[in-house]
Amino acid sequence: MRIGDIFSYAFSAIKLRKLRAGLTTLGVVIGIAAIVALLSITQGLQAAIAFQLQKGFATDTLIVSAGGGLGVGADSGFSLLVNDTQTINDIENVTASLAIIQRVGYLKCGGQTRRVTIVGVDFAAYKEIYSSTFLAEKGEIPSNPENDTVVVGKRVSDPWNNGTLFCNVGDAVEIVWTNTTARPLTNKTYEGSVAAVLQEVGGFSIGGPSDASIYIPTMQAQSFFGTEKCEMIIVKLKSDDKATIDSTAKTIREAFSNQVAVTSSTAVLNIISSVFSTIELFLAGIAAISLLVAGIGIMNIMIVSLMERTREIGILKALGMKNQQVLLIFLSEAAIIGLLGAAIGVGTGWGLAQAVVRIFSIGGGAGNIRQGSQAALANGITITPVLTPTVLLGAVAFGLAVSVIFGLYPAWRASKLKPVDALRYE
Amino acid sequence: MATIVEAVNLRKIYMLGKVPVEALRGVNLKVEEGEFLAVLGPSGSGKSTLLNLIGALDKPTEGKILIEGVDVSMLNDNQLADLRRKVGFVFQFFNLIPRFTAKENVELPMAIAGLGSEERRKRAEELLELVGLKHRMNHKPTELSGGEQQRVAIARALANNPSFLLMDEPTGNVDSKNAFEIMRLVKQLNEEKSVTVIMVTHDQRLAAEAKRIVQMLDGVIVDEKVNRK
Repeated sequence: MRIGDIFSYAFSAIKLRKLRAGLTTLGVVIGIAAIVALLSITQGLQAAIAFQLQKGFATDTLIVSAGGGLGVGADSGFSLLVNDTQTINDIENVTASLAIIQRVGYLKCGGQTRRVTIVGVDFAAYKEIYSSTFLAEKGEIPSNPENDTVVVGKRVSDPWNNGTLFCNVGDAVEIVWTNTTARPLTNKTYEGSVAAVLQEVGGFSIGGPSDASIYIPTMQAQSFFGTEKCEMIIVKLKSDDKATIDSTAKTIREAFSNQVAVTSSTAVLNIISSVFSTIELFLAGIAAISLLVAGIGIMNIMIVSLMERTREIGILKALGMKNQQVLLIFLSEAAIIGLLGAAIGVGTGWGLAQAVVRIFSIGGGAGNIRQGSQAALANGITITPVLTPTVLLGAVAFGLAVSVIFGLYPAWRASKLKPVDALRYE
Repeated sequence: MATIVEAVNLRKIYMLGKVPVEALRGVNLKVEEGEFLAVLGPSGSGKSTLLNLIGALDKPTEGKILIEGVDVSMLNDNQLADLRRKVGFVFQFFNLIPRFTAKENVELPMAIAGLGSEERRKRAEELLELVGLKHRMNHKPTELSGGEQQRVAIARALANNPSFLLMDEPTGNVDSKNAFEIMRLVKQLNEEKSVTVIMVTHDQRLAAEAKRIVQMLDGVIVDEKVNRK
């Protein structure tokens, strides 16, 4: 029997019971749609985060922090000091370094208060390292700031993203910070004046400028927060090749007796990529379970179909059909259901991903759908679902494989029927 | 004339639950090319079992069945399937595939044998013309009468130019007028196209149409006569 005839025979059997076949296919559609939707959203999110990171995180910089890296688990008693930058500046391949002091506090302006991240930086060095993001949209960032100079992020100035400003260039502001280490708790207030509003940075960054932060000179931060310590030191290197990054990172760690963690943007990207791989695997695994359920549905339906068509199989065998041809007919039925389900599932999953991203973009509060299906989450990350050829082909192949595997047993049983018994079957 | 079917001391034992049932108890039979043989017997005489063995649908418990000189009991499933393509089955209950039209049903054995669609279509139309149903070829079995369905089944049985037609109570489910028509067709095929026919029936009148009649009872052949009509 020709392969085309086998498929057309299988298709005629499927067509005979449209509702049943439709419901079985629906099982596959749901499984594949879940896989495609979850993976395309996750990959879109990963791409968005990677993009934002690359934007706010220069590749030729390193971040030095105390202990376990980026402040996580840093409880060895060791602290980085602001003037540790001098030690770092002496290391080979380092062109500049700058200490960052960071606290969470409140900004008061015109009778309103907003929670902000207060960052103490050397404006001149910060401008040099983050030349593409530490840029003023309004006003000017002074290289030699006055004592009361405050630079605010885009989202601090325009938190509702609709032109209603919380504060603007020239406004007098009060920065309030609560010293939680002193008893009784004391509120400290710092009076400043907004010198510049930053351009929108988007997303987030580690060390680099952020839309939700305000910036004051290092010296002011030191005296305001009453500390010599800093949260991290950003190090700018002569080059961003891997060898330079690795050797300089090693030298810095050694200079601080391995009490510091040195993070490079590439390392962070790698970590994020591996975290996302795990998440993808997990989500795909959950979705795969639904596909397995669909597979059992296929098996169930095919066993029912096998019983109903026992006599038909007897006829086919009496007409000279071989066992493997019967097997192929039944497998083709499973394959057709699998392929059809996978094809519809990919489309549905893709549509679902677009819909979810849109719903999130509206529910996320930012409310600015930028273009088409893109969405801006509350923290400003724009997600565009990504459907890679791997996911596309993988989903179709998986749907097909599950269908065929679960179709194997009924198909095998059909092929093994004895013609004389099958013909007698009522 | 060449021997097409030869049964040698054929025995078949079935298990009905745990009880063995001896359906055939040593049958010896030869069918020559061009014959029209009727196997006559009441139900339970073993005639359907014999038919299944001749049609390579089943294997004997003992003895030999040779089809065109090939011992069926020595063949594997694939070889049996190949052998069945040389047999034209006509069943009491027609056994057409309900979702296919008459033409598609006739094409089916040819599709199984691997023929191309154009060749199949042409031959199916010829065969349906032969059985007088060309004008009904696009109808499904449910739209055909019992007699018409059986004629489609005969056309289907002839599709792969079989060595012989094997008919199991071919008129058992049609009215007498149609039964007569079918028998006329079978005789015509036998006489004009030299198609070898082996027909199993319990109906004496039907058997009387055959050239040779073997009578079966309790799993053995008890009588054999040549019809001189």
